[in-house]
Amino acid sequence: METNSIKYCIATFLSLALFQWAGAQQRISGTVRDKNGEVIPSAAVVLSPGGEATRTDSAGHFSLQTMAKGKASLLFTSIGYKPLRKEILLTEPALQLDIILSTNIQSLHAVTISAGSFEASDKAKGASLTAIDAFTVAGNNADLAMALRSLPGAQQIGELEGLFVRGGTGDETKQFMDGTLIKNPNYPSVPGVQQYARLNPILFKGILFSSGGYSATYGQAMSSALILESADLPEKSSAYFSVFSANQSAGMQKLARNGRSSYGVTVRYSNQALYNSIVPQGPDYFRGPEYREGDANFRIKRGKTGMLKFYTNWNSSDVGMRNPDIDSPSLRSSYRVRGMNSYNNLSYRDRLGQDWKLETGLAYDHNRVHTEEKNNQRQIFSDLVQGRVVLTRQFSNNQALRFGAEHFYSRDHGRSNDSAIALTDHLTAGFAEADLYLSEQLAARAGVRAEYSSVPGRGTVAPRLSLAWRMKDGGQFNLAYGIFYQEPSDDVLYQARDLRFSGATHYILNYIKKANNRLFRIEAYDKEYKDLVKIATLIGNGGKGYARGMEVFFRDKRSVRNLDYWVTYTYLDTRRDYWNYPYALRPSFATPHTATVAIKKNFQELNTFVNISYAFATGRPYYDIRYSAPDKGYKIYDQGTTKNYSVLNLQVAHLVSILRKSKQRPVAGFSAGVNNILGAHPLFGYNYSADGGIKMPVTLPATRYYYIGFFMSFGIDRTTDLLNNDAN
Amino acid sequence: MKKLIFSPLAISFFCISSFGQMQGAGALENAVAKLDGARTAKEYETLEKEFVRIAASEPKDWLPNYYAAYCNARIGFLYQDDGEEIEPYSERGEKQAQKAQSLLDTLQQKKELAEVYTVLSLVYRTRVFINPMTYGRKFGTLSQQYRARAQELDPGNPRAIYVRAWELYNIPKMWGGDKDQAKVLANQSLHLLENAGTGIQPHWGKAEDEELLRKYK
Repeated sequence: METNSIKYCIATFLSLALFQWAGAQQRISGTVRDKNGEVIPSAAVVLSPGGEATRTDSAGHFSLQTMAKGKASLLFTSIGYKPLRKEILLTEPALQLDIILSTNIQSLHAVTISAGSFEASDKAKGASLTAIDAFTVAGNNADLAMALRSLPGAQQIGELEGLFVRGGTGDETKQFMDGTLIKNPNYPSVPGVQQYARLNPILFKGILFSSGGYSATYGQAMSSALILESADLPEKSSAYFSVFSANQSAGMQKLARNGRSSYGVTVRYSNQALYNSIVPQGPDYFRGPEYREGDANFRIKRGKTGMLKFYTNWNSSDVGMRNPDIDSPSLRSSYRVRGMNSYNNLSYRDRLGQDWKLETGLAYDHNRVHTEEKNNQRQIFSDLVQGRVVLTRQFSNNQALRFGAEHFYSRDHGRSNDSAIALTDHLTAGFAEADLYLSEQLAARAGVRAEYSSVPGRGTVAPRLSLAWRMKDGGQFNLAYGIFYQEPSDDVLYQARDLRFSGATHYILNYIKKANNRLFRIEAYDKEYKDLVKIATLIGNGGKGYARGMEVFFRDKRSVRNLDYWVTYTYLDTRRDYWNYPYALRPSFATPHTATVAIKKNFQELNTFVNISYAFATGRPYYDIRYSAPDKGYKIYDQGTTKNYSVLNLQVAHLVSILRKSKQRPVAGFSAGVNNILGAHPLFGYNYSADGGIKMPVTLPATRYYYIGFFMSFGIDRTTDLLNNDAN
Repeated sequence: MKKLIFSPLAISFFCISSFGQMQGAGALENAVAKLDGARTAKEYETLEKEFVRIAASEPKDWLPNYYAAYCNARIGFLYQDDGEEIEPYSERGEKQAQKAQSLLDTLQQKKELAEVYTVLSLVYRTRVFINPMTYGRKFGTLSQQYRARAQELDPGNPRAIYVRAWELYNIPKMWGGDKDQAKVLANQSLHLLENAGTGIQPHWGKAEDEELLRKYK
């Protein structure tokens, strides 16, 4: 009996097998997982010989059919994993395989898109910048934009705040917080005196300083975008205060007991009157300068991945000063500007299911500026509301498709002398962008941005493209291309409406290498401006220009223990024919050569940090351009180049031990610094009288700026609780 | 009679099963012996893979995961001055240490838990090396807390004492660092390790202590 049944079985098996050999298709299927048993979707599966290929689905499952027989092999590949070749024998009716791929540690250093940008984030590794590195550069006056002038691409413009990047004006750099525009990052400008930033840089955990070629998700900045990401929940509750020679601040952050929400409040007050009575200033101040600022925030974690954040900032300023009158130097003319601003930002981000990510933002900015000067009175109220939605579909291997839209509604009104000002503008933008990882070495980001503005009544479409190619040795080449449009500034639109967007086309080539806590970066670019605003008899879009150059950045955290330094060099060749320039000129805010050094040294045994920053720049051109009636156009009456600029800033901070006994020891210390410690007399240009007969140098309000103060912060460490919770 | 017939079978069965065990334990013993001589990141990387393989075949044993995590921590220490490299090792080490912890009976196996916490403390320390400025506050604290818990569970653990010595040596004086005390503890740890075995139970630490004491001079 038994023998018979075995025979029967063999016969059946053979006939089945024969049937298979006689030409049926062989099915191969299976599941691809990683070592932890997680499925790997979108892994490539290729059969050889034959070349049949497929990809695993979202459950890591694949299935292939082949006519091939005998010995064959399957190759499994997926970015981030080591390729695996599996030998198989094509004899059975169906082959079921369980494949385990091991991670490829080398490739975890994934290629990243980085042309044109400096990223400073709290996730920075090695010698990459962190937000703290960026805003602890000496001499930054708590202004992120000032701190970033120590990076290549930015010009050293001592008489104005803001970032002048690659031949662009300060207005061509825009700042964004959690996706929304910070329209008025600094207190209202005062001629010849840099003004503070309104937002405290400590708010941000991530800073992306793009000096060109930035993502399609941002727009309306022809030269540069400063993309800021605010911090999420604090690690612990804390409070701090600081008392400095000219400003004081205090704040607190409270983290809820369950660790899922927090709120915080800070106040800052600065009055320079006392300081100015001790350290003589060029201008004779009759008001302040005085700055008041308060902000508040709450952050709520929703579900597993949702984060709702609200930030509100209220501030005001008052600066009044007298200077010798340019037209009759025996007299003095006064200038007073009062400003009030409120910036409010509500943002929400969450994951929607496995693959989708949602980011939304709503911002409201209210701004008032009241300027009084000789022959001029101006009062402007402006409101800006922005709504923004970005959706991201994530695919395996970090690939993503991002798209979204935003709308800006702005309404300005006021008076300039006797004429009324009114401007209402709707600007709508839609954008889409794809992150493509083409291989382990090659990544691309391709995007497009369309914008329409109601005031010019015109739209634009701007393509953006970035490529990154990572080499075996860890070095990476980056390429970027893009068109960047910007509406003419409000001041221009008050006077003329029939204008197009100005535009700049960027081409960027970059090489970056990070290793051993050192970072080297070199970047070359070409930027072509078109449709710049020009005033001839009428205001129009007749201007154009170019900027090209090369920049080097090197940072070293390794060579000397506890010493961190970076050096940069910026070469810039730019000409532009815009505003009242009679023809293409090197603009007065651009110089060919700039070099900066930033040094941070930690004397650990002494609990002392020393920060030094140095900037050198060749001279900038200056012009006396006036309207010439006989020539029916603008004419250069005088021009020249200033002497070289060279400024050294020093800051020393010393931590002290106090309340040693208390369980939560506070961090306390002294900080003191001098800007322009060597007492150089930089010259930024000249102011000309109406007839050109008198020119007065524009220089620093005081040669040196000193500050000294005490700060203290108290924190309640809650990590112990967390640790106990997860250990039990 | 029955007994007689049965016993050879039983013996052979016993042999086979113990042989099977020997293979597992043998592989681990072999790998741990190699670990005692490992010095370079590459060697630790090769060994880590071996421990991961052993962990897969011995899913109930905490030791292979523990040693894999230790390898990753060592790699992190060796890459101390190259923050760009460390993160993937730290992440793997953290997962492996947590896996090892999950295989322990936390109420009964206090000494074993102390070993795992010690390695977890090292793993978190390697996170700090990625960028002390940003990772220091969170992971430095975590590292110290796990070391403290290890010492609570097993005050005489020479490896936890070594980690404490490392902390005292490297933390600035103002925040409680004390190089002299570090030396005392490193010597104490070394003394406790004098009779450390060579089996599969954790016995590393001598080389680390000696390295720390060399720096002191």
